[in-house]
Amino acid sequence: MTLTEKIIARAAGRSHVAPDDEVWANVDLAAMHDSSGPRRIAPTLERLGGRLWDLSRIVLAIDHFTPAANLRHAEILTTTRDWARKTGLPHFFDSVGVLHNLLLEQGLAKPGTLIVGADSHTVTAGAIGALAIGVGATELATVLVTGQIWLRVPPTVLIRFEGAMPSHLTARDLAMVVLQRLRADFAIYRAVEFAGPAVEAFDLDERAVLANQAIEMGAKNGIVPASAAVLDLFSGDASGSRRPPASEPPLAGDAGCSYEATHMFTVSSIPPLVAAPPNVDHVMPAQQVAGLELDHAYIGSCVGGKARDLREAARILRGKRVKTPLRITPATQRVVEDTLHDGTLQVLIDAGAIVQAPGCGACAGLHSGLLGPKERCIATVTRNYSGRMGDSTAEIYLASPLTVAASAVTGRLTDPREFL
Amino acid sequence: MQHIYEGQAWVFGDHVNTDQILPGRFLDRPMDEVGRYALVGLDASFPERVAPGDFVVAGLNFGCGSSREAAVMALKQAGVAAVIARSFARIFFRNAINNGFPAVIIAETSAIRPSDRLRLDLGTRVVTNLRTGEALSVQNLTGTSQEILQRGGIVAYTLARIQQAR
Repeated sequence: MTLTEKIIARAAGRSHVAPDDEVWANVDLAAMHDSSGPRRIAPTLERLGGRLWDLSRIVLAIDHFTPAANLRHAEILTTTRDWARKTGLPHFFDSVGVLHNLLLEQGLAKPGTLIVGADSHTVTAGAIGALAIGVGATELATVLVTGQIWLRVPPTVLIRFEGAMPSHLTARDLAMVVLQRLRADFAIYRAVEFAGPAVEAFDLDERAVLANQAIEMGAKNGIVPASAAVLDLFSGDASGSRRPPASEPPLAGDAGCSYEATHMFTVSSIPPLVAAPPNVDHVMPAQQVAGLELDHAYIGSCVGGKARDLREAARILRGKRVKTPLRITPATQRVVEDTLHDGTLQVLIDAGAIVQAPGCGACAGLHSGLLGPKERCIATVTRNYSGRMGDSTAEIYLASPLTVAASAVTGRLTDPREFL
Repeated sequence: MQHIYEGQAWVFGDHVNTDQILPGRFLDRPMDEVGRYALVGLDASFPERVAPGDFVVAGLNFGCGSSREAAVMALKQAGVAAVIARSFARIFFRNAINNGFPAVIIAETSAIRPSDRLRLDLGTRVVTNLRTGEALSVQNLTGTSQEILQRGGIVAYTLARIQQAR
Protein backbone atom coordinates (compact mmCIF):
# COMPACT_ATOMS: atom_id res chain seq x y z
CA MET A 1 0.00 0.00 0.00
CA THR A 2 1.03 3.61 -0.59
CA LEU A 3 1.30 5.92 2.41
CA THR A 4 -2.14 7.39 1.71
CA GLU A 5 -3.65 3.89 1.49
CA LYS A 6 -1.96 2.85 4.73
CA ILE A 7 -3.31 5.88 6.57
CA ILE A 8 -6.82 5.16 5.32
CA ALA A 9 -6.50 1.48 6.26
CA ARG A 10 -5.44 2.41 9.80
CA ALA A 11 -8.24 4.97 10.12
CA ALA A 12 -10.77 2.43 8.84
CA GLY A 13 -9.47 -0.34 11.11
CA ARG A 14 -8.59 -2.56 8.18
CA SER A 15 -5.44 -4.45 7.36
CA HIS A 16 -5.67 -3.56 3.70
CA VAL A 17 -7.43 -1.16 1.33
CA ALA A 18 -7.14 -0.66 -2.43
CA PRO A 19 -8.07 2.21 -4.78
CA ASP A 20 -11.84 2.66 -5.25
CA ASP A 21 -12.71 0.86 -1.98
CA GLU A 22 -15.22 2.87 0.02
CA VAL A 23 -14.62 2.90 3.76
CA TRP A 24 -15.75 4.65 6.91
CA ALA A 25 -12.71 6.13 8.57
CA ASN A 26 -12.10 7.45 12.10
CA VAL A 27 -10.90 11.02 11.98
CA ASP A 28 -7.93 12.02 14.16
CA LEU A 29 -8.40 15.78 13.85
CA ALA A 30 -11.16 18.03 12.50
CA ALA A 31 -10.46 21.65 11.56
CA MET A 32 -12.49 24.69 10.56
CA HIS A 33 -12.28 28.48 10.45
CA ASP A 34 -14.48 31.51 10.86
CA SER A 35 -15.83 31.29 7.31
CA SER A 36 -16.62 27.55 7.23
CA GLY A 37 -17.09 27.08 10.96
CA PRO A 38 -19.70 27.98 13.58
CA ARG A 39 -21.79 30.37 11.47
CA ARG A 40 -22.26 27.71 8.80
CA ILE A 41 -22.34 24.50 10.86
CA ALA A 42 -24.41 25.58 13.87
CA PRO A 43 -27.81 24.77 12.29
CA THR A 44 -26.53 21.38 11.06
CA LEU A 45 -25.06 20.51 14.46
CA GLU A 46 -28.43 21.26 16.01
CA ARG A 47 -30.22 18.94 13.57
CA LEU A 48 -27.69 16.23 14.43
CA GLY A 49 -28.32 16.50 18.15
CA GLY A 50 -25.61 19.01 18.99
CA ARG A 51 -23.21 16.69 20.80
CA LEU A 52 -19.58 17.06 19.70
CA TRP A 53 -17.62 13.85 19.37
CA ASP A 54 -14.33 14.92 20.95
CA LEU A 55 -13.51 18.53 21.85
CA SER A 56 -9.79 17.76 22.04
CA ARG A 57 -9.76 16.78 18.36
CA ILE A 58 -11.46 19.89 17.03
CA VAL A 59 -9.53 22.98 15.93
CA LEU A 60 -11.07 26.35 15.15
CA ALA A 61 -9.15 29.36 13.87
CA ILE A 62 -10.32 32.86 13.04
CA ASP A 63 -8.32 33.67 9.92
CA HIS A 64 -10.57 34.71 7.00
CA PHE A 65 -12.56 37.73 8.21
CA THR A 66 -9.90 39.11 10.53
CA PRO A 67 -9.12 41.94 10.96
CA ALA A 68 -12.81 42.67 10.34
CA ALA A 69 -13.17 45.10 7.46
CA ASN A 70 -16.82 45.88 8.14
CA LEU A 71 -19.62 45.10 10.55
CA ARG A 72 -20.71 41.96 8.66
CA HIS A 73 -17.24 40.57 9.20
CA ALA A 74 -17.24 41.66 12.83
CA GLU A 75 -20.52 39.80 13.40
CA ILE A 76 -19.09 36.62 11.87
CA LEU A 77 -16.18 36.88 14.29
CA THR A 78 -18.48 37.39 17.27
CA THR A 79 -20.51 34.34 16.26
CA THR A 80 -17.29 32.35 16.02
CA ARG A 81 -15.95 33.51 19.39
CA ASP A 82 -19.29 32.92 21.12
CA TRP A 83 -19.40 29.35 19.83
CA ALA A 84 -15.81 28.66 20.92
CA ARG A 85 -16.57 30.03 24.38
CA LYS A 86 -19.83 28.12 24.70
CA THR A 87 -18.28 24.80 23.70
CA GLY A 88 -15.09 25.39 25.71
CA LEU A 89 -12.98 24.40 22.72
CA PRO A 90 -9.36 23.95 23.84
CA HIS A 91 -7.86 24.52 20.37
CA PHE A 92 -9.26 27.91 19.45
CA PHE A 93 -7.00 30.42 17.68
CA ASP A 94 -8.32 33.95 17.46
CA SER A 95 -6.69 36.01 14.72
CA VAL A 96 -3.17 34.65 15.23
CA GLY A 97 -2.79 33.00 11.85
CA VAL A 98 -4.13 30.78 9.10
CA LEU A 99 -5.69 27.51 10.27
CA HIS A 100 -3.57 25.34 7.96
CA ASN A 101 -0.28 26.84 9.11
CA LEU A 102 -1.34 26.73 12.77
CA LEU A 103 -2.02 22.98 12.52
CA LEU A 104 1.59 22.49 11.48
CA GLU A 105 3.36 24.99 13.74
CA GLN A 106 1.36 24.09 16.86
CA GLY A 107 2.06 20.39 16.38
CA LEU A 108 -1.63 19.53 16.05
CA ALA A 109 -1.14 17.78 12.71
CA LYS A 110 0.72 14.53 13.25
CA PRO A 111 2.37 12.19 10.73
CA GLY A 112 0.31 9.21 9.64
CA THR A 113 -3.00 10.57 10.92
CA LEU A 114 -6.28 11.47 9.18
CA ILE A 115 -7.16 15.16 9.25
CA VAL A 116 -10.39 16.56 7.83
CA GLY A 117 -10.93 20.29 7.47
CA ALA A 118 -13.62 22.57 6.11
CA ASP A 119 -11.37 24.34 3.64
CA SER A 120 -9.80 23.28 0.36
CA HIS A 121 -6.29 24.09 1.59
CA THR A 122 -6.61 21.63 4.48
CA VAL A 123 -4.35 19.52 2.25
CA THR A 124 -1.44 21.68 3.51
CA ALA A 125 -1.06 19.38 6.55
CA GLY A 126 0.07 16.66 4.14
CA ALA A 127 3.43 18.42 4.55
CA ILE A 128 4.00 16.43 7.70
CA GLY A 129 3.04 13.06 6.23
CA ALA A 130 -0.58 13.25 7.35
CA LEU A 131 -3.59 12.46 5.16
CA ALA A 132 -5.32 15.84 5.15
CA ILE A 133 -8.55 16.26 3.24
CA GLY A 134 -10.76 19.27 2.56
CA VAL A 135 -14.55 19.04 2.80
CA GLY A 136 -17.48 21.44 2.95
CA ALA A 137 -18.99 22.81 6.15
CA THR A 138 -21.98 20.47 6.36
CA GLU A 139 -19.84 17.39 5.94
CA LEU A 140 -17.49 18.69 8.62
CA ALA A 141 -20.47 19.10 10.95
CA THR A 142 -21.26 15.39 10.53
CA VAL A 143 -17.63 14.60 11.38
CA LEU A 144 -17.82 16.79 14.50
CA VAL A 145 -20.73 14.67 15.72
CA THR A 146 -19.72 11.17 14.58
CA GLY A 147 -15.92 11.39 14.40
CA GLN A 148 -16.18 9.55 11.10
CA ILE A 149 -16.10 10.24 7.38
CA TRP A 150 -16.67 8.05 4.34
CA LEU A 151 -13.78 7.95 1.91
CA ARG A 152 -13.22 6.42 -1.46
CA VAL A 153 -9.63 5.22 -1.49
CA PRO A 154 -7.83 7.29 -4.15
CA PRO A 155 -5.18 5.90 -6.48
CA THR A 156 -1.82 7.54 -5.69
CA VAL A 157 0.21 9.48 -8.26
CA LEU A 158 3.90 9.85 -7.42
CA ILE A 159 5.72 13.07 -8.32
CA ARG A 160 9.50 12.85 -8.05
CA PHE A 161 11.86 15.82 -8.10
CA GLU A 162 15.37 14.75 -9.02
CA GLY A 163 18.53 16.70 -8.27
CA ALA A 164 19.37 19.49 -5.86
CA MET A 165 17.57 22.85 -5.80
CA PRO A 166 19.35 25.76 -7.51
CA SER A 167 19.33 28.95 -5.41
CA HIS A 168 16.94 30.78 -7.75
CA LEU A 169 14.23 28.15 -7.36
CA THR A 170 11.70 27.56 -4.59
CA ALA A 171 9.15 24.89 -3.77
CA ARG A 172 6.51 27.11 -5.38
CA ASP A 173 8.29 26.84 -8.74
CA LEU A 174 8.18 23.05 -8.37
CA ALA A 175 4.45 23.10 -7.70
CA MET A 176 3.99 25.31 -10.78
CA VAL A 177 6.04 23.08 -13.06
CA VAL A 178 3.76 20.18 -12.13
CA LEU A 179 0.70 22.26 -12.97
CA GLN A 180 2.32 23.34 -16.22
CA ARG A 181 3.04 19.81 -17.38
CA LEU A 182 0.10 17.88 -15.93
CA ARG A 183 -2.58 20.64 -15.71
CA ALA A 184 -5.07 21.61 -13.04
CA ASP A 185 -7.23 18.51 -13.13
CA PHE A 186 -4.77 15.65 -13.50
CA ALA A 187 -5.18 14.54 -9.92
CA ILE A 188 -8.97 14.67 -9.48
CA TYR A 189 -10.03 11.93 -7.00
CA ARG A 190 -6.35 11.04 -6.59
CA ALA A 191 -3.68 11.26 -3.92
CA VAL A 192 -0.46 12.99 -4.93
CA GLU A 193 2.72 11.93 -3.14
CA PHE A 194 5.85 14.07 -3.46
CA ALA A 195 9.29 12.52 -3.25
CA GLY A 196 12.82 12.57 -4.64
CA PRO A 197 16.12 14.06 -3.45
CA ALA A 198 15.00 17.69 -3.79
CA VAL A 199 11.94 17.04 -1.63
CA GLU A 200 13.81 14.98 0.96
CA ALA A 201 16.00 18.02 1.62
CA PHE A 202 12.98 20.33 2.05
CA ASP A 203 12.07 21.84 5.41
CA LEU A 204 8.50 21.84 6.66
CA ASP A 205 7.67 25.22 5.08
CA GLU A 206 8.73 23.96 1.65
CA ARG A 207 6.87 20.68 2.09
CA ALA A 208 3.80 22.73 2.96
CA VAL A 209 3.95 24.42 -0.46
CA LEU A 210 3.81 21.11 -2.33
CA ALA A 211 1.06 19.65 -0.16
CA ASN A 212 -0.94 22.89 -0.34
CA GLN A 213 -0.79 23.10 -4.11
CA ALA A 214 -2.04 19.51 -4.50
CA ILE A 215 -5.57 20.95 -4.31
CA GLU A 216 -4.81 23.12 -7.36
CA MET A 217 -3.88 19.87 -9.14
CA GLY A 218 -7.35 18.60 -8.29
CA ALA A 219 -6.11 16.10 -5.71
CA LYS A 220 -7.97 14.69 -2.74
CA ASN A 221 -4.73 15.06 -0.79
CA GLY A 222 -1.08 15.88 -1.22
CA ILE A 223 1.39 14.07 0.98
CA VAL A 224 5.10 14.32 1.67
CA PRO A 225 6.42 11.37 3.70
CA ALA A 226 8.11 12.74 6.80
CA SER A 227 11.91 12.85 6.68
CA ALA A 228 14.05 12.15 9.75
CA ALA A 229 14.41 15.93 10.21
CA VAL A 230 10.64 16.39 10.15
CA LEU A 231 10.15 13.54 12.63
CA ASP A 232 12.72 15.21 14.88
CA LEU A 233 10.31 18.13 15.17
CA PHE A 234 8.14 15.70 17.08
CA SER A 235 10.57 13.77 19.24
CA GLY A 236 12.45 16.94 20.20
CA ASP A 237 9.41 18.59 21.73
CA ALA A 238 9.65 18.28 25.51
CA SER A 239 5.93 18.88 25.97
CA GLY A 240 5.22 15.81 23.88
CA SER A 241 2.40 17.65 22.13
CA ARG A 242 3.91 16.93 18.74
CA ARG A 243 4.38 13.24 19.37
CA PRO A 244 2.32 11.02 17.07
CA PRO A 245 -0.46 9.07 18.76
CA ALA A 246 0.33 5.67 20.27
CA SER A 247 -1.29 3.42 17.67
CA GLU A 248 1.66 3.49 15.28
CA PRO A 249 0.51 5.69 12.44
CA PRO A 250 2.23 4.82 9.17
CA LEU A 251 5.12 7.06 8.10
CA ALA A 252 5.86 5.74 4.60
CA GLY A 253 4.40 3.53 1.90
CA ASP A 254 5.39 -0.11 1.57
CA ALA A 255 8.51 -0.86 -0.46
CA GLY A 256 7.45 -1.56 -4.03
CA CYS A 257 3.93 -0.22 -3.49
CA SER A 258 1.88 0.46 -6.56
CA TYR A 259 1.37 3.96 -7.94
CA GLU A 260 -1.14 4.77 -10.64
CA ALA A 261 1.52 6.87 -12.36
CA THR A 262 4.96 8.30 -11.67
CA HIS A 263 6.11 11.66 -13.03
CA MET A 264 9.74 12.78 -12.83
CA PHE A 265 11.01 16.34 -12.89
CA THR A 266 14.67 17.40 -12.96
CA VAL A 267 14.88 20.53 -10.85
CA SER A 268 18.11 21.88 -12.37
CA SER A 269 16.32 22.47 -15.68
CA ILE A 270 13.40 24.46 -14.22
CA PRO A 271 13.50 28.27 -14.58
CA PRO A 272 11.64 30.62 -12.21
CA LEU A 273 7.99 30.34 -13.21
CA VAL A 274 4.79 32.36 -12.99
CA ALA A 275 1.15 31.33 -13.34
CA ALA A 276 -0.54 33.97 -15.47
CA PRO A 277 -4.26 34.70 -15.06
CA PRO A 278 -6.83 33.32 -15.05
CA ASN A 279 -5.85 29.75 -14.10
CA VAL A 280 -3.33 28.11 -11.81
CA ASP A 281 -2.01 25.93 -14.63
CA HIS A 282 -1.40 28.82 -17.04
CA VAL A 283 2.28 28.50 -16.17
CA MET A 284 5.25 29.97 -18.06
CA PRO A 285 8.83 31.08 -17.38
CA ALA A 286 9.00 34.46 -15.61
CA GLN A 287 11.38 35.44 -18.40
CA GLN A 288 8.60 35.06 -20.96
CA VAL A 289 6.46 37.79 -19.39
CA ALA A 290 9.32 39.84 -17.93
CA GLY A 291 8.74 43.58 -18.17
CA LEU A 292 4.99 43.56 -17.52
CA GLU A 293 4.15 46.60 -15.43
CA LEU A 294 2.78 45.96 -11.96
CA ASP A 295 0.47 47.85 -9.63
CA HIS A 296 0.92 45.64 -6.56
CA ALA A 297 3.19 42.98 -5.14
CA TYR A 298 1.92 40.72 -2.40
CA ILE A 299 3.45 38.08 -0.16
CA GLY A 300 1.05 36.11 2.00
CA SER A 301 -1.43 33.24 2.42
CA CYS A 302 -1.14 29.66 3.66
CA VAL A 303 1.11 28.76 0.75
CA GLY A 304 3.18 31.93 0.49
CA GLY A 305 3.22 33.73 3.85
CA LYS A 306 5.42 31.40 5.89
CA ALA A 307 8.72 32.33 7.56
CA ARG A 308 10.65 30.74 4.73
CA ASP A 309 8.76 32.84 2.16
CA LEU A 310 9.60 36.05 4.00
CA ARG A 311 13.25 34.97 4.27
CA GLU A 312 13.38 34.19 0.52
CA ALA A 313 11.99 37.67 -0.20
CA ALA A 314 14.58 39.20 2.12
CA ARG A 315 17.39 37.55 0.14
CA ILE A 316 16.40 39.77 -2.78
CA LEU A 317 15.28 42.87 -0.87
CA ARG A 318 18.32 43.31 1.38
CA GLY A 319 19.66 46.82 0.79
CA LYS A 320 17.11 47.61 -1.95
CA ARG A 321 13.88 49.65 -2.20
CA VAL A 322 10.66 48.48 -3.77
CA LYS A 323 9.19 50.43 -6.68
CA THR A 324 5.87 48.60 -6.65
CA PRO A 325 4.04 48.72 -3.30
CA LEU A 326 4.74 45.40 -1.55
CA ARG A 327 2.29 44.19 1.09
CA ILE A 328 3.14 41.26 3.31
CA THR A 329 0.61 39.21 5.28
CA PRO A 330 2.53 36.76 7.48
CA ALA A 331 0.68 33.45 7.71
CA THR A 332 0.80 33.38 11.51
CA GLN A 333 1.86 35.50 14.46
CA ARG A 334 4.73 33.07 15.04
CA VAL A 335 5.99 33.90 11.55
CA VAL A 336 6.04 37.54 12.68
CA GLU A 337 7.94 36.64 15.85
CA ASP A 338 10.45 34.38 14.10
CA THR A 339 11.19 36.81 11.31
CA LEU A 340 11.39 39.69 13.78
CA HIS A 341 13.97 37.90 15.87
CA ASP A 342 16.16 36.79 12.97
CA GLY A 343 16.21 40.23 11.36
CA THR A 344 14.17 39.33 8.29
CA LEU A 345 11.37 41.79 9.05
CA GLN A 346 13.92 44.59 9.41
CA VAL A 347 15.23 43.88 5.91
CA LEU A 348 11.73 43.79 4.45
CA ILE A 349 10.60 46.97 6.17
CA ASP A 350 13.82 48.79 5.26
CA ALA A 351 13.06 47.87 1.65
CA GLY A 352 9.69 49.58 1.94
CA ALA A 353 7.43 46.57 2.47
CA ILE A 354 4.21 47.08 4.43
CA VAL A 355 3.61 44.30 6.97
CA GLN A 356 -0.03 43.55 7.80
CA ALA A 357 -1.85 41.49 10.44
CA PRO A 358 -1.45 37.70 10.18
CA GLY A 359 -4.19 35.59 8.58
CA CYS A 360 -5.54 34.85 5.11
CA GLY A 361 -5.13 38.50 4.12
CA ALA A 362 -6.08 39.47 0.58
CA CYS A 363 -5.85 35.91 -0.73
CA ALA A 364 -9.43 35.18 0.27
CA GLY A 365 -10.62 38.34 -1.50
CA LEU A 366 -12.26 39.74 1.62
CA HIS A 367 -10.02 42.62 2.80
CA SER A 368 -6.40 43.73 3.33
CA GLY A 369 -5.67 45.06 -0.13
CA LEU A 370 -8.23 44.06 -2.74
CA LEU A 371 -7.41 44.79 -6.37
CA GLY A 372 -9.30 47.38 -8.38
CA PRO A 373 -10.44 47.12 -12.02
CA LYS A 374 -7.62 46.12 -14.38
CA GLU A 375 -4.96 46.36 -11.65
CA ARG A 376 -2.11 43.88 -11.98
CA CYS A 377 -0.59 42.12 -8.99
CA ILE A 378 2.22 39.63 -8.59
CA ALA A 379 1.62 37.46 -5.56
CA THR A 380 2.58 34.33 -3.66
CA VAL A 381 -1.10 33.59 -2.92
CA THR A 382 -2.92 30.33 -3.64
CA ARG A 383 -4.96 31.14 -6.75
CA ASN A 384 -5.11 33.55 -9.67
CA TYR A 385 -8.76 33.08 -10.66
CA SER A 386 -10.59 36.15 -11.98
CA GLY A 387 -11.99 38.06 -9.05
CA ARG A 388 -10.11 36.02 -6.47
CA MET A 389 -8.47 39.09 -4.89
CA GLY A 390 -11.00 41.73 -5.88
CA ASP A 391 -12.32 43.04 -9.18
CA SER A 392 -12.89 40.40 -11.84
CA THR A 393 -10.81 42.37 -14.36
CA ALA A 394 -7.78 42.51 -12.05
CA GLU A 395 -4.87 40.27 -13.01
CA ILE A 396 -3.03 38.03 -10.54
CA TYR A 397 0.32 36.55 -11.49
CA LEU A 398 1.33 33.78 -9.09
CA ALA A 399 5.03 33.44 -8.36
CA SER A 400 7.62 32.45 -5.79
CA PRO A 401 8.60 34.95 -3.08
CA LEU A 402 11.91 35.45 -4.92
CA THR A 403 10.12 36.42 -8.13
CA VAL A 404 7.63 38.63 -6.29
CA ALA A 405 10.44 40.43 -4.43
CA ALA A 406 12.53 40.92 -7.58
CA SER A 407 9.48 42.27 -9.41
CA ALA A 408 8.63 44.64 -6.57
CA VAL A 409 12.15 46.10 -6.80
CA THR A 410 11.99 46.80 -10.54
CA GLY A 411 8.28 47.62 -10.72
CA ARG A 412 7.94 45.12 -13.54
CA LEU A 413 7.63 41.37 -13.67
CA THR A 414 11.21 40.19 -13.23
CA ASP A 415 13.15 36.92 -13.30
CA PRO A 416 14.80 36.78 -9.85
CA ARG A 417 18.05 35.45 -11.34
CA GLU A 418 18.82 39.11 -12.16
CA PHE A 419 19.38 39.61 -8.43
CA LEU A 420 20.95 36.31 -7.42
CA MET B 1 -35.93 12.23 -3.97
CA GLN B 2 -36.98 13.34 -7.43
CA HIS B 3 -35.80 11.09 -10.28
CA ILE B 4 -36.62 12.91 -13.51
CA TYR B 5 -35.70 16.49 -14.26
CA GLU B 6 -36.33 18.46 -17.44
CA GLY B 7 -34.98 21.88 -18.21
CA GLN B 8 -32.87 24.13 -20.32
CA ALA B 9 -29.09 23.93 -20.54
CA TRP B 10 -26.78 26.77 -19.52
CA VAL B 11 -23.45 25.86 -21.05
CA PHE B 12 -20.07 26.79 -19.56
CA GLY B 13 -16.51 25.64 -20.25
CA ASP B 14 -13.79 23.78 -18.36
CA HIS B 15 -12.43 24.66 -14.89
CA VAL B 16 -15.38 26.72 -13.69
CA ASN B 17 -14.18 27.63 -10.19
CA THR B 18 -16.08 28.37 -7.02
CA ASP B 19 -14.88 31.99 -7.06
CA GLN B 20 -16.89 32.31 -10.28
CA ILE B 21 -19.88 30.40 -8.93
CA LEU B 22 -19.93 32.52 -5.78
CA PRO B 23 -17.32 35.31 -5.68
CA GLY B 24 -15.50 35.83 -2.39
CA ARG B 25 -17.07 39.24 -1.86
CA PHE B 26 -20.40 37.50 -1.15
CA LEU B 27 -18.94 35.03 1.35
CA ASP B 28 -19.97 37.22 4.24
CA ARG B 29 -23.66 36.94 3.32
CA PRO B 30 -26.14 34.65 5.11
CA MET B 31 -26.49 31.27 3.43
CA ASP B 32 -30.15 31.81 2.52
CA GLU B 33 -29.41 34.71 0.17
CA VAL B 34 -26.49 33.43 -1.87
CA GLY B 35 -28.78 32.35 -4.74
CA ARG B 36 -28.88 35.99 -5.87
CA TYR B 37 -25.19 35.77 -6.76
CA ALA B 38 -25.05 32.37 -8.47
CA LEU B 39 -22.43 32.27 -11.22
CA VAL B 40 -22.15 36.06 -11.36
CA GLY B 41 -18.39 35.63 -11.70
CA LEU B 42 -19.06 34.29 -15.20
CA ASP B 43 -22.41 35.78 -16.16
CA ALA B 44 -23.82 38.68 -14.14
CA SER B 45 -27.33 38.10 -15.51
CA PHE B 46 -27.48 34.38 -14.67
CA PRO B 47 -29.46 34.66 -11.41
CA GLU B 48 -32.16 36.72 -13.13
CA ARG B 49 -32.40 34.66 -16.31
CA VAL B 50 -32.13 31.10 -15.03
CA ALA B 51 -35.48 29.31 -14.68
CA PRO B 52 -36.31 26.77 -11.99
CA GLY B 53 -35.35 23.31 -13.22
CA ASP B 54 -32.63 24.47 -15.62
CA PHE B 55 -29.28 22.68 -15.83
CA VAL B 56 -25.76 23.98 -15.65
CA VAL B 57 -23.64 22.10 -18.20
CA ALA B 58 -19.86 22.27 -18.17
CA GLY B 59 -16.67 20.51 -19.22
CA LEU B 60 -13.84 19.36 -16.99
CA ASN B 61 -13.13 20.09 -13.33
CA PHE B 62 -16.34 21.96 -12.51
CA GLY B 63 -16.27 23.60 -9.08
CA CYS B 64 -12.52 23.69 -8.60
CA GLY B 65 -10.93 25.92 -5.98
CA SER B 66 -12.36 26.95 -2.65
CA SER B 67 -14.41 24.47 -0.63
CA ARG B 68 -17.16 27.06 -0.08
CA GLU B 69 -20.43 25.17 0.23
CA ALA B 70 -22.18 28.42 -0.64
CA ALA B 71 -21.25 27.69 -4.27
CA VAL B 72 -23.57 24.68 -4.28
CA MET B 73 -26.23 26.51 -2.29
CA ALA B 74 -26.12 29.45 -4.72
CA LEU B 75 -26.86 27.20 -7.70
CA LYS B 76 -29.53 25.32 -5.78
CA GLN B 77 -31.25 28.46 -4.56
CA ALA B 78 -31.13 29.99 -8.05
CA GLY B 79 -33.28 27.04 -9.15
CA VAL B 80 -30.67 24.95 -10.95
CA ALA B 81 -31.82 21.30 -10.92
CA ALA B 82 -28.40 19.72 -11.41
CA VAL B 83 -24.93 20.31 -12.79
CA ILE B 84 -23.91 18.03 -15.66
CA ALA B 85 -20.19 17.95 -16.45
CA ARG B 86 -17.34 15.77 -17.69
CA SER B 87 -15.66 15.91 -14.29
CA PHE B 88 -16.02 17.66 -10.94
CA ALA B 89 -13.54 18.92 -8.41
CA ARG B 90 -14.13 16.47 -5.58
CA ILE B 91 -15.00 18.93 -2.80
CA PHE B 92 -17.67 20.53 -4.99
CA PHE B 93 -18.98 17.08 -5.84
CA ARG B 94 -19.23 16.10 -2.19
CA ASN B 95 -20.83 19.42 -1.25
CA ALA B 96 -23.42 18.87 -3.98
CA ILE B 97 -24.31 15.35 -2.91
CA ASN B 98 -24.26 16.38 0.74
CA ASN B 99 -26.96 18.92 -0.03
CA GLY B 100 -29.07 16.61 -2.16
CA PHE B 101 -28.02 18.38 -5.35
CA PRO B 102 -27.17 16.08 -8.28
CA ALA B 103 -23.67 16.55 -9.77
CA VAL B 104 -23.76 14.29 -12.78
CA ILE B 105 -20.85 13.08 -14.88
CA ILE B 106 -21.34 12.14 -18.52
CA ALA B 107 -18.62 11.28 -21.04
CA GLU B 108 -19.09 14.23 -23.37
CA THR B 109 -20.88 17.56 -22.99
CA SER B 110 -19.58 19.38 -26.08
CA ALA B 111 -22.62 18.52 -28.22
CA ILE B 112 -24.94 20.27 -25.78
CA ARG B 113 -25.74 23.80 -26.92
CA PRO B 114 -27.02 26.71 -24.87
CA SER B 115 -30.81 26.48 -24.44
CA ASP B 116 -31.02 22.81 -25.46
CA ARG B 117 -33.71 21.05 -23.46
CA LEU B 118 -32.32 18.17 -21.44
CA ARG B 119 -33.85 15.37 -19.44
CA LEU B 120 -31.97 13.85 -16.52
CA ASP B 121 -33.35 10.53 -15.32
CA LEU B 122 -31.61 9.42 -12.16
CA GLY B 123 -33.63 6.18 -12.14
CA THR B 124 -32.41 4.94 -15.52
CA ARG B 125 -29.21 6.98 -15.12
CA VAL B 126 -29.49 8.69 -18.51
CA VAL B 127 -29.10 12.28 -19.71
CA THR B 128 -31.07 12.90 -22.91
CA ASN B 129 -30.70 15.92 -25.16
CA LEU B 130 -34.30 16.50 -26.27
CA ARG B 131 -33.16 18.54 -29.29
CA THR B 132 -30.90 15.86 -30.77
CA GLY B 133 -32.24 12.76 -29.09
CA GLU B 134 -28.73 11.87 -27.99
CA ALA B 135 -28.69 9.89 -24.75
CA LEU B 136 -25.62 9.59 -22.52
CA SER B 137 -25.29 7.43 -19.46
CA VAL B 138 -24.52 8.78 -16.02
CA GLN B 139 -21.04 7.64 -15.01
CA ASN B 140 -20.96 8.51 -11.34
CA LEU B 141 -23.41 8.47 -8.42
CA THR B 142 -22.82 4.94 -7.26
CA GLY B 143 -22.09 3.51 -3.82
CA THR B 144 -22.15 5.83 -0.82
CA SER B 145 -22.60 9.01 -2.88
CA GLN B 146 -25.76 7.55 -4.42
CA GLU B 147 -27.12 6.58 -1.00
CA ILE B 148 -26.46 10.08 0.36
CA LEU B 149 -28.11 11.71 -2.65
CA GLN B 150 -31.12 9.42 -2.35
CA ARG B 151 -31.52 10.42 1.28
CA GLY B 152 -31.53 14.06 0.19
CA GLY B 153 -28.17 14.89 1.72
CA ILE B 154 -25.61 13.99 4.33
CA VAL B 155 -27.54 15.36 7.31
CA ALA B 156 -30.50 13.01 6.77
CA TYR B 157 -28.05 10.25 5.90
CA THR B 158 -26.05 10.80 9.09
CA LEU B 159 -29.20 10.92 11.23
CA ALA B 160 -30.14 7.53 9.80
CA ARG B 161 -26.66 6.19 10.60
CA ILE B 162 -26.87 7.50 14.15
CA GLN B 163 -30.34 5.87 14.55
CA GLN B 164 -28.99 2.60 13.22
CA ALA B 165 -26.08 2.60 15.66
CA ARG B 166 -28.46 2.91 18.62
